[in-house]
Amino acid sequence: MINLILLFPLLACLILFVFKFKFLNNLMINLYAAIHFTVSLALCFHKDFLPMWTPSKFFAADDTNIIFLMVMSIVFLAVAVYNNGYIKNNEDLTRKIRHYTYMVLFFVFSMTGAILSSNLGITWVFIEGTTLASAYLIYFHKTKHSIEAAWKYVFICSIGIALAFVGIILLTIATGNVNTLFYSELYNNAASFNPFWLKLSFVFILFGIGTKMGLAPVHFWLPDAHSEAPSPISALLSATLLNSAFLMILNVFRILVLAGCDGYARIMLLTMGFLSLFITAVFVYHINNYKRMLAYSSIENMGILAIGTALGGIGVLAAMIHLVGHSLIKASFFLTAGNILERYGTKKVKSITGLIKTDRKTGWLWVLSFVGIAAFPPSVLFISEFLMIKSMFMEGKFILAGLFFLLLTIVIYGLGKAVIRMTFSKQEEREENVSQNVVFGWNMYIPQVVLLFLAFLIGIYMPIGFTQSLLAAVAGF
Amino acid sequence: MENIFIILLGLSMIYIAATSRLAAHVNMLIVQGWLLFFVCLTGFVKEPWFNWSMISGTESIAANIPHITGLLFVVIETLIVKAFVIPLFLKKVVKRTNSHRDTEANIPHFYCLFISSVILFAGFLVANIDAPQFKLIDSMYFGVSISIIITSLWLITIKHKVLSNVIGFITMENGIFLLSLSVAKEMPIIVNLGVLLDIFIAVFILGMLVNEINNEFDDMEVSQLSDLKDYEYND
Repeated sequence: MINLILLFPLLACLILFVFKFKFLNNLMINLYAAIHFTVSLALCFHKDFLPMWTPSKFFAADDTNIIFLMVMSIVFLAVAVYNNGYIKNNEDLTRKIRHYTYMVLFFVFSMTGAILSSNLGITWVFIEGTTLASAYLIYFHKTKHSIEAAWKYVFICSIGIALAFVGIILLTIATGNVNTLFYSELYNNAASFNPFWLKLSFVFILFGIGTKMGLAPVHFWLPDAHSEAPSPISALLSATLLNSAFLMILNVFRILVLAGCDGYARIMLLTMGFLSLFITAVFVYHINNYKRMLAYSSIENMGILAIGTALGGIGVLAAMIHLVGHSLIKASFFLTAGNILERYGTKKVKSITGLIKTDRKTGWLWVLSFVGIAAFPPSVLFISEFLMIKSMFMEGKFILAGLFFLLLTIVIYGLGKAVIRMTFSKQEEREENVSQNVVFGWNMYIPQVVLLFLAFLIGIYMPIGFTQSLLAAVAGF
Repeated sequence: MENIFIILLGLSMIYIAATSRLAAHVNMLIVQGWLLFFVCLTGFVKEPWFNWSMISGTESIAANIPHITGLLFVVIETLIVKAFVIPLFLKKVVKRTNSHRDTEANIPHFYCLFISSVILFAGFLVANIDAPQFKLIDSMYFGVSISIIITSLWLITIKHKVLSNVIGFITMENGIFLLSLSVAKEMPIIVNLGVLLDIFIAVFILGMLVNEINNEFDDMEVSQLSDLKDYEYND
């Protein structure tokens, strides 16, 4: 069954290569999204509908990565539906649609591979693959700025990933006689590893993959790339790519926990997390490009994930809940930003006034996404951030909790200022670039509605099965 | 024997640091490819399973397939890709973009020479620390590869031309390759393939982007690529 989601995109690329019909492009993305969703759902419920087709030993679904896979499936399905409407309004896209489709398929394929792989080396290879696929997608509009963004992205991430490979080499030194990179064997033998090399390897892997995840001192590609990419791609980048990098860090961190030298790793994660919050607070305060604003918000949320992981215990559970909520809400936020960009043709915060009058539905989606990301109570992020602060209090880290509060408040203020200004300010008369005649189909609203509904629903009512699978995912931290 | 090649690798980084002609850098990449190839080969010759009779007949080849594929892979990776394909591609790019020299470096060449020598020396010092942890590694490989990685990262930060950054990236990958040779254990072949893919495609994507930058911008300086900012809106 795992083979199906890994082989289908390659097959789809082949079909597209042979039969060059235009309608196939959209169909393949939608079909892949549907297959992806079905398979992840089946994996969630342990129902293998293709039992004869055993996957290779390099790929397996376990308690932790199934959450990531499910989140990715939901987001990808939403993005695929949105994409149908987006392509119609975008001349650039219709011209180069085939390349776009290849790359989207390859991008999702490599993220799925990175999430499902049960071997550290293979995860690394797939994360490298995501860089290559998404580089083209970021560069898609072929403007000066998109070249710049793509260049920074490829260059910074390639160096980061190369350093992560150094980390993997150091990890193999640490393993001693255990010559393996399979997670399960690494976990089983963790106690016998050499702590010095293990710690050193974590430094390299955290910084290397942290580049990909967008943690603070090495986040510089992220705002540029997210703001220059086409909006569906921004949603995928923010809501799924960063998660798949986080999963690798989480897996390596688990080795350190099992080897008993996690104290030092926790300090590093905590530092990077708070630095991410700080950077976001500083930059979001005077932000003037709303897609960059969302990108910074992603950095902030990745920081929160790192902090939760570092806190351990209930913090890791909070991080998992946060990951689910952030992906759902941020995808919706980016897709709505895509609507605004189509309508106004600018990413400048100040040029957008009276959004709620110009386009009521988009305006309300924009506000609701903000309410979600700002962690106001019905949103699931409220629960996760609450749990995180609770765990800080329980561990007696009052100063950290205070700092956490303060930075989050500044971030919410920055985001809120821009969002409210865009939606509720008085509509200016001279809006020459507002294209009222852009018509959005239902498929450019429904995905966001569904994503937000899910995020608010699990904020109010968490099904028992979901809670159990979250608890299973964080067992051992 | 391989120590000579490893030391030459370290010295090649000093040469790259101290010159400004891009053609010379590309030539140095060819040299590094050959040196890495020799390092691998001498490593293989010392392995217990290695003898020439293993490729004498079909049966002995069949018995040694994992070793032979490993050997072939290394030959392809180091010699063909690192010493021929990538440098030739870069030479083409250098010609097409007319960027022959990386002038106006922030740091004069003499200081570059000095700093890169110091990094190489520091690499040796670190690798020869007398501690039980360092018994697990081969100090020669480790010291030189760490110094190559650090020198490359440092060169990336001080160079002005976009292409120099690509060259810095490749030398860093060479350093990492040397480090992976120091781990006696074999990586799964697919990881090696991934590394190869990484270098191969990263270089081509970077090469394509260099071409695009050449078409879009007047000049191949990194400073051109700093238009996306947070405090000024320019889009």
